[in-house]
Amino acid sequence: MGNLFTGSFPEGWRVPLREWTNSFVNWLVTNYGDFFRSITDTLLYVLVQVERFLNWLPWWSVVLLIGLLVWHASGKKIAPAVVLAALLVLVGTFELWPQLVTTLAIMVVATSVTVLIGIPIGIAMARSDGLKRWIQPLLDGMQTMPSFVYLVPVVMFFGLGNVAAIFATFIYAVPPVIRLTDLGLRLVDEEVVEAADSFGASERQVLWWVRIPLAVPTIMAGINQTIMMALAMVVVASMIGARGLGQEVLRSLQRGDVGLGLEAGLAIVILAIIMDRVTAGYGRRLDTTEKAV
Amino acid sequence: MHHDAKSLVRTLAAGLLALSLLLGGFATAQETDCGGYNKPVVFAELDWDSVQVLNHIARFVLEEGFGCATDSIPGSTIPMYRGAARGDIDVVMEVWLDNVPDFWVPAVEAGDVLQLDAVFDDAIQGFYVPRYMVEGDAERGIEATAPDLRSVDDLPQYASLFRDPERPDKGRFYNCIIGWRCEQINNVKLEVYGLTDSFTNFLPGTAVALATSMESAYLRGEPWVGYYWSPTWVLGKLDMIRLEEPTYTDECWDGLEANVDTPENATEACAYPASTAVIALGKSFNDEVSEDIVAFLNAIDTPSAQINKILAHMQETDSSPAEAAMHFLETEPEVWNAWFADADLDPAILERVTAALK
Repeated sequence: MGNLFTGSFPEGWRVPLREWTNSFVNWLVTNYGDFFRSITDTLLYVLVQVERFLNWLPWWSVVLLIGLLVWHASGKKIAPAVVLAALLVLVGTFELWPQLVTTLAIMVVATSVTVLIGIPIGIAMARSDGLKRWIQPLLDGMQTMPSFVYLVPVVMFFGLGNVAAIFATFIYAVPPVIRLTDLGLRLVDEEVVEAADSFGASERQVLWWVRIPLAVPTIMAGINQTIMMALAMVVVASMIGARGLGQEVLRSLQRGDVGLGLEAGLAIVILAIIMDRVTAGYGRRLDTTEKAV
Repeated sequence: MHHDAKSLVRTLAAGLLALSLLLGGFATAQETDCGGYNKPVVFAELDWDSVQVLNHIARFVLEEGFGCATDSIPGSTIPMYRGAARGDIDVVMEVWLDNVPDFWVPAVEAGDVLQLDAVFDDAIQGFYVPRYMVEGDAERGIEATAPDLRSVDDLPQYASLFRDPERPDKGRFYNCIIGWRCEQINNVKLEVYGLTDSFTNFLPGTAVALATSMESAYLRGEPWVGYYWSPTWVLGKLDMIRLEEPTYTDECWDGLEANVDTPENATEACAYPASTAVIALGKSFNDEVSEDIVAFLNAIDTPSAQINKILAHMQETDSSPAEAAMHFLETEPEVWNAWFADADLDPAILERVTAALK
């Protein structure tokens, strides 16, 4: 053991976490590979359909649809809709349209899955302090653990490609929507809840008709954050074979092609602005608190 | 970012230097001065195993034999090569000449990097499938699913075995790492071999992703077909068969390379030639460091078989690249002693390295 006062850490002290993890992952892959494979099939089916549909639409109709969506979300302002539609056409002129559509499809599915799983967890967390104590550190871990750590096991379970990318994105992007759903529900004015109680509303009615509607702006902020984080994962996800814009960024990195990197990077930014405008816009429009007060 | 990392490294190195001076260890330990190079020699830590082992071998000799301080910065190919051209990286132990010619050739011609001799010139690249697909594996209870699969021409009839879950009507071909030269070459090959109708061209983002896809398919005993190369631990560990391709000729290769940007126009394709990887130095390092260090690096020569052996041992014993490098230095002195003979160096350097190993 040597001297306690030398700088070096005792050599014999070793927690073999590395070996345990490696053999556990190998065991899971060898014995439950088919099980993981079956989980992914549904997800993949949805993704393939969404992508097929978006690819089937003529490009101008996608531009038009997104323009209309921005217009509606922003409270019928014309300028943002026109500017964003024009930016989408710009991406097309970079010859990145197919990649844009693929990334859009992955984003739609990844964020839907994330939100559909995240919001119920957030609701459960808001209703139970005990649960919150358990989930909170887990969320902290998911947000701070470098994504490269879980990239390889995710690939071993789900194979290279879009599904693995969706899982990696889920791990990285789900914490904000859970946290903000929890926060939004907890911030609801107790006096409003008491008023509902006194009118004889059941607990379920209070949740569905009082708490959740009042929490919507915060929840929308969570969804918005989640989408932004999911977009940040696009390039990382392309390292495990997700198709789309991320691959072009990666290609530019590995070839030293700065121009290509900028084009693909701009396309991702434009996608981010659109998704941000839409979710933030609807967040504001669904803000019932302003009207209620 | 490299800059920040480097200045941090420099500060740390300066701190450590001051500390070792304080402790009095400095005067006796450093008889040599790293050929007049007073900064740490920075190696490019690229993201595959062979280069990392080679880094540790060279670093050990530079540290113990020449009295250098050494360091490494991790990163992927182009950022590292660019770092060498800018002077942030001093030594790159493997530059695969076939893989990044668009960047590398102009950089060498401009004199930003200095290209030394080959570290190996017999690397193999090709399309691989697991042996159990063709011959079965009685021990693991795997039946041969593609008994007649010999060459790339046989692939279309077996496409359904390699089903791509994202495009279920096609097989999935795992191409080379996105953006590398081999990706473009393989695009032409897929076209000429008539595989584009029956296979999707799947692009893994990194070397690790490609290796993982192969290894996890192998662990499950599932089909896999794709590009890979040797020397690598993967091909040392997994029993893979290289599919036959038309024999390499210069004419065919010229025709192939002429169409890398327009694969649909290509009419010829054939097997990869044996590839060469060279050692490269950043210009500023080459200018400042003494000739004998350059001569030593230039003399390093490890044929593929040698590296495969090191990497297979590394994988079997689950050791790190540093440990594998030490194992090689300890067990095969005749190999690396020959480099010293080739470089015609002061025997005292070899003696110091040998002494440090004991």
